[in-house]
Amino acid sequence: MDLFLQTLLNGLLIGGVIATFTVAFQLAFGVLHVIDFAVGGWVVLGGYLGYYITAWLGLDGFLAIPLAFVLFGALGYLIGPVLYNVRNSRTARPELMALALSFGLFTLLRGGMLTAWGFNTRNVTTALSGESLAIGPVTVPLIRVVAAVFAAAIAGGLFLFLYRTRYGLAIRATAENRHNAALMGVNIGRLSANVYGLYAGITAMAGVLMGAIYSVNPEVGLRYTLFAFFVAVLAGLGSVEGALVAALLLGVVEAFVSTYVGASYSLLAIFTTLFLVLLISPRGILRRGL
Amino acid sequence: MAPINRSFSRRRFLGSSAMAITAGALGMPFVRTARAQAATFKAGVITSLSGENILGGNLTKQGYDLWADVINAKGGVEVAGDRFKVEMFYGDDQSSPATGADAAERLIVQNGVDVLFGPYTSGSTIAVQPICQKYQVPMISGSAESPNVWKAKPEFNFGIIPAVDTTSGLSLGVLAKLSNPAAKTVAVVSVNEPFSKETGEGFRDGAKAAGLELATYELVPPEGDLTPVISKIAALDPDIVAVGGHEEVLINVVKTSKSLNYRPKALIMHYGITNPAFAQALGADADGTTGVVVWLPTVSYKDDLFGTAKDFAQMAQKKLGGEPDYTAAACAASGLVLGDALKRLGKKPALTQEDRVALKDAIAETDIQTFYGPIKFEKDGPHYHDNIQPVPVLVQIQGGKTVAVGPKEAAAADYIYPLPAWK
Repeated sequence: MDLFLQTLLNGLLIGGVIATFTVAFQLAFGVLHVIDFAVGGWVVLGGYLGYYITAWLGLDGFLAIPLAFVLFGALGYLIGPVLYNVRNSRTARPELMALALSFGLFTLLRGGMLTAWGFNTRNVTTALSGESLAIGPVTVPLIRVVAAVFAAAIAGGLFLFLYRTRYGLAIRATAENRHNAALMGVNIGRLSANVYGLYAGITAMAGVLMGAIYSVNPEVGLRYTLFAFFVAVLAGLGSVEGALVAALLLGVVEAFVSTYVGASYSLLAIFTTLFLVLLISPRGILRRGL
Repeated sequence: MAPINRSFSRRRFLGSSAMAITAGALGMPFVRTARAQAATFKAGVITSLSGENILGGNLTKQGYDLWADVINAKGGVEVAGDRFKVEMFYGDDQSSPATGADAAERLIVQNGVDVLFGPYTSGSTIAVQPICQKYQVPMISGSAESPNVWKAKPEFNFGIIPAVDTTSGLSLGVLAKLSNPAAKTVAVVSVNEPFSKETGEGFRDGAKAAGLELATYELVPPEGDLTPVISKIAALDPDIVAVGGHEEVLINVVKTSKSLNYRPKALIMHYGITNPAFAQALGADADGTTGVVVWLPTVSYKDDLFGTAKDFAQMAQKKLGGEPDYTAAACAASGLVLGDALKRLGKKPALTQEDRVALKDAIAETDIQTFYGPIKFEKDGPHYHDNIQPVPVLVQIQGGKTVAVGPKEAAAADYIYPLPAWK
């Protein structure tokens, strides 16, 4: 029973961790209609920022979180219009061109980081690294709780922003029909840049947490891209709230299969879940995807 | 205008081609004469000089180069009373096995090397082996550690480092003997990728020989989260946790264990903990982690060229600016194997194809003592042509430094067992 409870907690927290970098990914897809392969690159960039904040300045890794938002949000704001223009260009299959562009961006980030910072694995230390709380028979890793709370806060914040502000209304309108939104006076180009900046900033913030929970090297980005994509498909592409539910589901599936069946079957179980959900509900787990 | 232009450039092309052919015909014998005057043995180094394995690739290159520098400073390899220098050629596998095979072929065909020094990764080594076989060029591999390299029964390839399944298996026996109170159970975790899995299988199979009960054997995907597996192991509470993986996974195992407030009595890993990045990333949490190496500067071996292991380490430190690890040592020892085989073969450069086959046979008969340890290649079995003579040395991170803790004759410090609870 103890192991069961621990496994359940592990699963929920893994879900929380995955959700940190998938919520904003969904927003970017909803507005830009691009599956951004570079998501793993933004995560790793955030992780490195966390590492340098702790290694060079001797500060707590958590302080890198707001800095990651400002720095990589600004970078994303500059890259956003390029992606938007490619996605809406008059070339044949602009969606594939945009996909190729984001893949190229990912490769560039990965190669650049490999050249600049080498391939050694780095760690982000925070006040809560390695700390845990014992609640009865269950051990709660505090840094993962921070990640789960962060994911929930980001999802909640985005929800309020999208449904309670005029700019959120403009974003939703653009996601639904960009031509109509443009006719209503929404500056689609600037909005896309803002959304991509917001997404890059949030994802890099999640990256600091990933560096604190796991570790960071230029090669791990692909893993985050894959998981973001799994969750996005399971959630229904573009569904922000679905991303939370899907991440938690995948986390719990992974934890139970790893503990009770064998860790080598965990990916198989994740793919089977993905397959079954797509079969039953192609628009994602909450049927709210595009 | 256009046709005139075209005929003009054709004429120029024909003219320059004729000049080039004439120059080639006149020049080639001259080049050959020049080569014959300064006869050298040509050795090709095929390793990762770019891409993700560049650090390891450079370690191998530095090891091979150290031997070439030292032997050339002495006038070269001694053959039938004369000395012949060694000329080094380099091929970059760009951290990809397929590129490694191409680069090896280029070294053999274009540079006409007599012998190859093998790649950093086992994957590239496996890819290069058929090329050695095709052109009948012997290769001495100072780095490959995967048992799969030797399972393929490579006729022309020889390995200096014992395959990882033998070292990881034997190391559990050494650890069990050092533990007090004696360890009884072990849980093995390994990442489901070639090198890590083989390490894990070595631990798994070595447990029985070490008199340990296997509590569980967990194979995790490289993308997987480790909390479920560590929680499961914590519930089983084995004395030893053995991990097969590269640095990133090793770091994550320590971090995840700490975040779940679980610490086994001993945590043993293989490759990776000797990389300074491991201790750097984990800080004080790295302390107590056990690792396995096949060579340390403190071992008691010696030879005529490099002197003692300590002498070698000092020389390497001076040339490379850092303490050499066992890969660099094994690569330098590869040169000793070549020098010994060439001496016994007694053939002067340049070697013919028959000479290279005879060289391969001479290498197979190697039985020497070096600063790196004894070198003798297996003649059959699953480790065909691998040197499984060296006994693994157990190291432990203590106060941020890697120190030898076992077996007793190699120990520089006491083994900390059981590990204290996390602070």
